[in-house]
Amino acid sequence: MKTINQRQRAKILLAAAVLFLAAVAVAGVFCHDAAMETDFSRKNLAPSLAYPFGTDWLGRNMFYRTLTGLSMSILIGVCAAGVSAVMALVLGLAAATLGKKADSVISFLIDMVMGIPHILLLLLISFAMGKGLKGVIVGVALTHWTSLARLIRGEVMQLKQSEYIQIARKLGHSNFHIARKHMLVHLFPQFVVGLVLMFPHAILHESSITFLGFGLSTEQPAIGVILSESMKYLIMGKWWLALFPGIMLVLTVVLFDMGGTALRRILDPNSVHK
Amino acid sequence: MKIKKITSLLCAFAMAASLFALPAANVKADSSDKSVVVTMPTTSEPESGFDPAFGWGAGEHVHEPLIQSTLVRTTKDLTIENDLATEYSSSEDGLTWTVKIRDDVKFTDGEPLTAQDVAFTYNNCRDLSTVNDFTMLKEAKAVDDTTIEFTMNEPYSIWPYTMAIVGIVPEHAYDENYGQNPIGSGRYIMKQWDKGQQVIFEANPDYYGEAPKIQKLTILFMEEDAALAAAMAGQVDVAHTAAAYSDQELDGYSLMQVETVDNRGFNLPVTEPEEKDGITYGNKFTSDVNVRRAINLAIDREEMIENVLNGYGTVAYSVCDKMPWYNDEAVTEYDLEEAKKLMDEAGWVEGKDGIREKDGEKAGFTLMFNNGDSVRQALAEDTANQLKELGVEVKTEGVGWDTAYDRAQSDALVWGWGAHTPMELYNIYHTMNDTGLAQYSPYANGTVDNYMDEALKSDNLEDSYDLWKKAQWDGTTGITQEGDIPWIWLCNIDHLYFVREGLKVADQKIHPHGHGWSIVNNIDEWEWE
Repeated sequence: MKTINQRQRAKILLAAAVLFLAAVAVAGVFCHDAAMETDFSRKNLAPSLAYPFGTDWLGRNMFYRTLTGLSMSILIGVCAAGVSAVMALVLGLAAATLGKKADSVISFLIDMVMGIPHILLLLLISFAMGKGLKGVIVGVALTHWTSLARLIRGEVMQLKQSEYIQIARKLGHSNFHIARKHMLVHLFPQFVVGLVLMFPHAILHESSITFLGFGLSTEQPAIGVILSESMKYLIMGKWWLALFPGIMLVLTVVLFDMGGTALRRILDPNSVHK
Repeated sequence: MKIKKITSLLCAFAMAASLFALPAANVKADSSDKSVVVTMPTTSEPESGFDPAFGWGAGEHVHEPLIQSTLVRTTKDLTIENDLATEYSSSEDGLTWTVKIRDDVKFTDGEPLTAQDVAFTYNNCRDLSTVNDFTMLKEAKAVDDTTIEFTMNEPYSIWPYTMAIVGIVPEHAYDENYGQNPIGSGRYIMKQWDKGQQVIFEANPDYYGEAPKIQKLTILFMEEDAALAAAMAGQVDVAHTAAAYSDQELDGYSLMQVETVDNRGFNLPVTEPEEKDGITYGNKFTSDVNVRRAINLAIDREEMIENVLNGYGTVAYSVCDKMPWYNDEAVTEYDLEEAKKLMDEAGWVEGKDGIREKDGEKAGFTLMFNNGDSVRQALAEDTANQLKELGVEVKTEGVGWDTAYDRAQSDALVWGWGAHTPMELYNIYHTMNDTGLAQYSPYANGTVDNYMDEALKSDNLEDSYDLWKKAQWDGTTGITQEGDIPWIWLCNIDHLYFVREGLKVADQKIHPHGHGWSIVNNIDEWEWE
């Protein structure tokens, strides 16, 4: 019998995670109209075949609502994390290559942002941007770049000292050429894994500020809105309003995390032969 | 070793005792018990204390101030009866009100209540109050110990309704901390206030009126879900609740519903859009009177109450249904066919997707509600569903109060109103001097303005009711269906309470907007059976 090695397993895992998340993201977009639809003739129904996740007090189909909510979270998360990662890359590279002064300024910036409690900074930025979709995206994007930026800065510092870079320099290659040909290739795995592992954070933070009332407005089918509304109805035994959306959120975050870990296994040169 | 044993034994005892204590919690003591625990929304806690100048009793939500007594008070049918006052009258021109008060009333610190205290209270409110309008009052003056003379800036015939909510404070014991340790002459004394949690009142033993039957009143501030949990645990006697929870069966409690004028409705800006100082005033779609009339006709209020309020509500056609100044010409029966005809006449023809169109534009508007208010959200959603039948596309949107007021100048917003004074009509429909438009939603009608101005100038409260009614509809113009219909009213929300069996809650007058203090207006008349 042929055994599947770790590398193959990682590939399968990654493919499954990507497939599921993409499916949710796309399905959610198509369900958006159905998720907004209210129908008072079917309110407060427990889960059934027709309504797998039940309905809420406005008669909204919670299955569609959860799908759309997750899809919005995923899209916002991917978008915000993408911006954040690019910021991290640029700032990390700048800190490592532009000399002492730039380095100290950027390091200070990283320390400062890291020093403020994360959720608090998110709230402040989101509120200052006028809440809503824009507030959430800007808030999440501006607060998640720090650790990745620090990682990239350290990596580049180390690379600069390494022999093949020194040799390339001695051979007279330009800084740009060295950065593109030698450094970026080396940095790429770290960057991509860092980016993917940022998604779950971004998604969770998007849901939490919406849950706290500083994010998307309440007619939107966002996962944070769904969960905060469900709190009011828990005492009446309407468990399905919180349980399924909660499980789906956790599932999404876990899948992103597993996908990220699998990606690292595949990209990391040290684990190629496992 | 021994100590350990004793401790575990004690623990066991304690657990056993608590087991026995649990079922007992639901059984309230006999009729000798004279205390009541009532829950209220957290928003009912008076932030600036129990000071009438900062909104206690006389704020956004009007109610009787309990701790202080008022000159007059409103009866069950919302006319006026004397409390501290023995008689009151206004001059011909309506610019002077003279009030005589009883001479046997003492504050709870033993000092007598004189006309001087009354004058001080009103002048103080006029100078400090930010939540209630006292601009019509020029000065209050004590003529002698029992006579007060109010000089007005302009005639204000409904002054007695103001006198019914302003609690009289003692001049000798008033400072900036009064709200924290109020002294009054009312039915109850505030004993303890744990901010964010509870207020405890005890009956005033020297009260000049009928002695209160309930000796101790505890108010707990909590959200509806917490109130329900507290009732489930048997910790409270009266728990406020919402329609969403009304189908819960609680052992030892029954559901009490109180009629209200706590209405919900939405505004429709009547002017063409125009931008001023960064704010848009007016809305193109709703500026057509036929569109507004069609919308009013196409709303099935009965169905809405069934859908959203589980039936716990009454239809509303105005901001003041059931009040003595309500004009029943406002009643508009649901008639979808007629509504469709009006839309056709206005040039809005049904398109392919069922949504009406005119000159390439789709019929529709945005209906906002404040974030977190599930009832208003449900009303907005149901309105959207009902108006879809008419071919009008309504987009609902949750907003915060920080932006809602400005945005309501150009879009519809679900509002909640309802007060024991006709002044509410004035606030909503009368134009303001500086803009020439009404305050909350652009609207102006000179005739309506005139009736209300006249009503305020009237020297007799009863006569003024007629003028208030004419302001709503005088046979040719007004704010009703046949008139300009600048606001659509949907329903009055019944106030719901879980009341412990055996507690007799005295008859309530129609509650105004606000689910808080109104219920304890007549707490002194409640009884345990």
